[in-house]
Formats: sequence, structure tokens, C-alpha cells
Amino acid sequence: MTEPAGAPRLEARGLVREFRGGAGVHGIDLDVLPGEVHALVGLNGAGKTTLLRLLLGMLRADHGEVRIDGVDVRSAGPGTWRRVGHVVEHPLAYAELTGRGNLAIAARLHGERRDDLDAAVDRVIDEFDLARYANVRASRLSLGNRQRLGLAAALLHEPSFVVLDEPTNALDPAGVILLRESLVRRAAAGAGILVSSHHLDEVARIAHRITVINDGRVIGGLDPAGVDLERAFFAQVHADAAGRVA
Amino acid sequence: MSAGLGSAIAVEARKAAASRVMASVTALLVLGVGALSLGMLLAAASGDEQVLAKLGPLADDGGWGGLIGVVLQITAAGGLLAFGVALSWLFGREFADGTVAALFALPVSRPAIAMAKLVVYLAWAIGVALVLTGVVAVLGYAMGYGVTDAAGVVGLLRIPVLVVLTALIAVPAAWASTLGRGLLPGIAATVGIIVVAQVFAIADAGAWIPIVAPALWAIAPQSVPAAALLTVPSVPIVFGGLCALAWARLQLDR
Repeated sequence: MTEPAGAPRLEARGLVREFRGGAGVHGIDLDVLPGEVHALVGLNGAGKTTLLRLLLGMLRADHGEVRIDGVDVRSAGPGTWRRVGHVVEHPLAYAELTGRGNLAIAARLHGERRDDLDAAVDRVIDEFDLARYANVRASRLSLGNRQRLGLAAALLHEPSFVVLDEPTNALDPAGVILLRESLVRRAAAGAGILVSSHHLDEVARIAHRITVINDGRVIGGLDPAGVDLERAFFAQVHADAAGRVA
Repeated sequence: MSAGLGSAIAVEARKAAASRVMASVTALLVLGVGALSLGMLLAAASGDEQVLAKLGPLADDGGWGGLIGVVLQITAAGGLLAFGVALSWLFGREFADGTVAALFALPVSRPAIAMAKLVVYLAWAIGVALVLTGVVAVLGYAMGYGVTDAAGVVGLLRIPVLVVLTALIAVPAAWASTLGRGLLPGIAATVGIIVVAQVFAIADAGAWIPIVAPALWAIAPQSVPAAALLTVPSVPIVFGGLCALAWARLQLDR
């Protein structure tokens, strides 16, 4: 596997966003390098989705800053966002449109030129094995196939920075393998990829770097090549919880 | 102008064209207004006192004037509800379905998406206006008004004007759906507009209030100067601007 290197695709510094009751993100620094698959792992409610929303401008930070390819997201324009692909919580899959229809609008929204649109849609239908569902309305797709469609919609414009929130949710084993291969290929081509998960799933296992999040903070990392990652993960989470209680 | 407006219009048009909600609202509005109008006229012709009381002076008009008057009154209230439901769905469904998250971090800006929804809505409303006018024309000729009241046919022109004006005053529903993050706030706003418009119109007042002028013009055209109708576009201009602002400042914080 090629080693990640170069100016970061993503730099987040001192990110804070706090909600009433104390939940949120309480000061997180994070980088994603070109060619890197960076996995964020944490239990439910650890702050992963809030962090991803902050990175993509879905939430405004109380403090701190986020840069994508060196551009502050608060002032990022179409040129920056054209290079980003994401699925955070709900995939772009409109019930009334067919699989192909959804991919076609995703291509338009991601800035694909009209001349290139059909080729991009055909390519990603092939990559994610969606031919059977190309002419089926999304409302008739299973949850897993809708997720697969949403992932294809997020990646069809070959983004150089990818953010996926628990992407293997509802995917069948074949879908997980397709996604894993897709991410490995994109990282090898220089994309920076940030993937969150509440468990050490198949995608976390292809990561170059695994960052552990708990209670809105980065509490450590895991060695992707290490053995018994689950034990190491829970040891960190329990130590963090015990430390805060003490 | 907002980044990617052309792409956003193409996307929103495709979504609306494939939508069963928009198709159902169109059918309900056109066929519903046509059937209700025909039913009321037939009931009035048979001497039903309740219907005659509801129609008031329109019952005496007969011909095109009676038909068009009934269509306008039904459209001013029922049409407004249909337009409000359509707008509430166009905007509120992104929140209800969760697809709004996919509309962030794109080269097409969110204000462009909001504006595109309004452009598609307006184009659809113009189409509805033309189809409804056609349906009423067919209805009128079928009832023989082409022979008995040939000169009255020009009154048909009031129908597309009222339909479009009614569509314009429903735009606050889009803003309410955005602020309330769903369909129901938009529908509630629509009901509020209907109540205000109808109460003022029945009281023969409010010609210069933009959300009242169309309903009053439907009931009592002589009460509304043409200049008052020209104030109606201020509603979509103001609330369209508020929509664009709300979408620009949107956060997924609820």
C-alpha cells in the first residue's frame, strides 16, 4: 500500500461545538493526508457525526477551524466542494427517482459537466454493481441497496476528499467488499478518506490510521496492524471514562 | 447569483416531474376545482337553496360569468391550500426524508437549491393555471355557454391570473417548512394565510394587503384596483429572499 504523504486534504484545529447538556465536540485536531484512509472509531454518542458535520459545514464551530485542501470551509467555494464527496447519516437517494435518476442528479450537484454525466453514471453503476437497480425507484430498494446507491452518488465524481459516516451500515458482505475496494483504489489515486464507525468493521481495518473518539475528544489511536484491536479500543474507552469519573 | 442555479433547477425539475405528490396535487387541484364548480352550478340550477345562498349574486349571473366566478372562489381557497401543500412538500421533504444532509458541501449552493425549488414551483403553477383554464373552457362550452354567452368567454382570462397570484401568496409556506424543518409547519402557515385572506375577503376589506388581494379579487373584482394586484409579487420576493437566507445559514443542529 502506498504511504500517505503531502499537504493534508483535511486539517481541523481546536474544533469545539457544544450543545446544551454538555454533548458535542470539545476541542479536536484532525488531519487526513492524500492517499490516506483515516478511520474514526467511537461508541454511539461519542461525537463522530457532530465532528463530521463540522468538517463539512453542516454545523458551525464555536471555536476552531477546518481547512479542505488549505481552504477554510467557511469561505470555500464551488471549486473546493467539487472535490468533496460525502455520506453523513442519510444518503442522497430520493424515493421518487430510479437508481440512475438519483446518480444523474448527484452528478449535476457535484458539478459534473453535462457531456461527462452519462459516462460517470455508467462507471459508478458498474463499480457498485447497481445495474439491476438502475431503473428501479429508490423507494423500492432495500435499506442496504439504498446505502450502496448513496455511496455511489457520493463517489461518482472522483472526489479527492471523502467523508463517510458509518458507511457499512445495512450493507451486505458483497457491498462491504465493493466499498472497501473502491476506497482502497481512490486512496491509491491520492484521495484522502475519512471514515467513521462505531465498531472496528471491514472499512476501519483497511485504514492507515485509526483515531479513537470518546465524549467529544480524541483519546488515542490504534495500530491498524495490531492484534486484538477490540480489546485495545475498549481499554482506551474505559480508561478515558474512569479518568473523567476520578 | 447563487452558484450552480442552472444545475439546481435541472435537479429540482427532475425530482418534481418524478414526484407522485406533485402529480397528485395537480390532479386534485384541476379535477377537484372542475368537479366542484360543475357540481355547484348543477345544484344551483336545480334550485338547491343552500348552494344558492353560498353562491350569492353569482347564482344570478349564469353563463361564463357564473361558472368563472365559482371557479375563482373555489381556487382562491382550495387552490391556495394545494399550492401550500406542494411548497411544503418541495421544501419540507428534504428534512422529513433526511436528504438535506446530502445538499451540503456541494458546488451547487444551498440558496441556489432553494431558489431552484421556487423556480420549478412557479413554472408548475403556471402550467396548472393553463390546464385549469382549459378544463373550465371545455366545461363552459359543454354547458352551451359558447352559444348562449359568447361574449363572456373573455372572463376565462381571470382564471390563470388568479391561479398564479394564489400560487405567489403561498410562498411563505416554503419559509415556514424550512424554519420548522418539515412539512407540517408549511401546511400550518398555508392554513393561516387562507384564514386571513378569506376573512378579509368576505368582509370586503384588505385590497392592498398582498395576501388578501387575490381572494378579494375573486369574490369582488371591483373592490381591488389593478395596482393592488401588482403588490402581490412582493410576497414571493420577500419570502423567497428569506428562504434563500435560511438555506444559506442552515445548520443540522436539531
